[in-house]
Amino acid sequence: MTTLTRDPARTAPAGPIRDNWIPRLGGPVWLVWRQHRAAFWTLVAVTLLGVLVMVHLRGQTMDFLAAQAPASRRSGGLPPEFETHVDRLFSIGSYLGYLPVLAGVFLGAPLIAGDLETGTAKLVTSQSVSRLRWLTMKLAVPAAMLALSAGVLTAVFTWWWSPVKGLSDGLIWTSFFSVTGVVPVAYALLTFTVGAAAGLLLRRTLVSMVVTLGIVVAIGFVWDEVWRSLGNVMSVSTDKGVGPGAVRPELPTQAEQSGDGAYFLTSSGDRLDWMTCLDQVENDRAHAACLESKHVIGWSIDYLPVSQMQTMQWLGAGIMLAVAAAVAAFVILRGRKRLL
Amino acid sequence: MDHAKSQHGSGTGFARPPVGAAAIEAHGLGKRYRRGWALRDVSFRLPAGRVCGLVGPNGAGKSTLMGLATNMIRPTTGALRVFGAAPGSAEAVLRTAFLTQEKPLFRRFTVAETLRLGREFNPRWDQGVAEGIVRAGQVPLEARVGTLSGGQRTRVAFALAFGKRPDLLILDEPMADLDPLVRRELMATLTEEAAEHGTTVLVSSHMLAELEHICDYLLVIANGGLRLAGEVDELRAAHALFAVSGDGSSPALAPHRVIEPRNEGRPGVLARLGGPVAYGGQAEPPTLEELLLAYLRSPDAPPLIAPGAQVGDIHDIITRDRTKAVTA
Repeated sequence: MTTLTRDPARTAPAGPIRDNWIPRLGGPVWLVWRQHRAAFWTLVAVTLLGVLVMVHLRGQTMDFLAAQAPASRRSGGLPPEFETHVDRLFSIGSYLGYLPVLAGVFLGAPLIAGDLETGTAKLVTSQSVSRLRWLTMKLAVPAAMLALSAGVLTAVFTWWWSPVKGLSDGLIWTSFFSVTGVVPVAYALLTFTVGAAAGLLLRRTLVSMVVTLGIVVAIGFVWDEVWRSLGNVMSVSTDKGVGPGAVRPELPTQAEQSGDGAYFLTSSGDRLDWMTCLDQVENDRAHAACLESKHVIGWSIDYLPVSQMQTMQWLGAGIMLAVAAAVAAFVILRGRKRLL
Repeated sequence: MDHAKSQHGSGTGFARPPVGAAAIEAHGLGKRYRRGWALRDVSFRLPAGRVCGLVGPNGAGKSTLMGLATNMIRPTTGALRVFGAAPGSAEAVLRTAFLTQEKPLFRRFTVAETLRLGREFNPRWDQGVAEGIVRAGQVPLEARVGTLSGGQRTRVAFALAFGKRPDLLILDEPMADLDPLVRRELMATLTEEAAEHGTTVLVSSHMLAELEHICDYLLVIANGGLRLAGEVDELRAAHALFAVSGDGSSPALAPHRVIEPRNEGRPGVLARLGGPVAYGGQAEPPTLEELLLAYLRSPDAPPLIAPGAQVGDIHDIITRDRTKAVTA
């Protein structure tokens, strides 16, 4: 609206304006950029630093792998020094796991709370700009920056992880589920909007940061509990008995076992949990008889295969983005109606 | 009637919106907070082109009324229109500038960036006016707002409000933290700008003597209700200050209604006229300050809403019909 109606003769800035090289996108975008530019520059710097560090470390890992015999490139086949590379991967991955926390607490929570606390929300809304437009840009600009930053960091991290995927017991895909692919972007956007909503409701920067931290930690707990249920649990079973010499079912490579250990499979197809006949386990014969009486014919193991990782990530990200969109809509509608 | 003080009465030759158009119109306006009514059943119209003083004790509802006019607050009852548009509508927002009591600014912005904020957001922005106000106070454009003194910050906030080129300028206690010289200068700027562009100004202040110099219209609020509304001259002419006779007994005042027996300054009895009176001798016209003090001290006095300040005035009907005729 501003760009369309402004007198072109007046668009040239009269004062010393530093951000000339930033593309002119109209009032709200300029304001949001200018107001939060310290946070944005920090985000850019952290992203660049993270990318440099990861590229460097990946190079070292790849050099190490190149020096090994091709035959040894399987889980457990690499020398113990490989664990230092795995440790680095894990520590950088855990830093990436903090990205949603930082996004919510330091970018989301102060976003609107700061304007409400200092009264600058009144300053902006008494200019000729609709609250809808201002609030939309207020959310959109940091969200875009955040998505870009999280996307770049995650892409580089995924690029580092892919060649070593499954090369040691620790490098199971489930450990990397929340820090690779599309998940971190959606996760950071979710915590960011939650932080912004907390700021809108609580109207105090510090209080909203603390509350956001609590909510984000709670989201983290819930996510850790539920994300595995996004997948289809598969099972593999044997029917060659469960005696001392019987073959255990074997998981596909890189699959993560789920459920409570190995189940007993009965001839009718039912599964009995691992505690079945546990009281007779001291006596082999009684134990075997007990299992026999329950028609146990083999073992069965549940697992999540690595092939489902991407589907699950997209599904989880989709859910997070849907919640984030709902929270953002709440922020905009409520802010439009009763901001001050 | 004293016309010398009425600088902004209609017919002074300045470019004005059509006579009778209302800058603000309130119908049964009320706002209730958790602790009670801040404003209750307020109806008035402020004709366009006036400089209107909004007077009342602390907590009387002045800021609430200003917030209602600028969409910062939603009314509990009734409605308010700004140039016929709802507050918060694109048209009302474009035509209204609001300087709140706290005068919030982005502390980390430079003065130039603060003015750029105004330019980015306001299609009618006047950089010359805004920079002129800032320069007149020797406020450097590169200075960060957070490093400025309170008075300089107020000046920047003024520049932002004036640069918007509003048709309605709402100022909430604008002069509180200014020294007397700056106060005079900014008041002069205000009157000049308002006169030149036909801007309607609604200004709240506790400085009654200063209001007398700039206002030609008046709204007095006490206890959440409207006490006085109308042209300053009209309101003054409706009252008289009756001298007290030497023996201290009150003069016979029927058919006039006593608002306040005064015992400071000019002694006498301030009364609302119930019939014609001849000034001179026993009866003198009150000054604006005397009138305001009398009404602020006597909250139980019946409100006086001048005909021109009443909603549903004949002017409104004329204006509405004219608008209809144009749109039809």
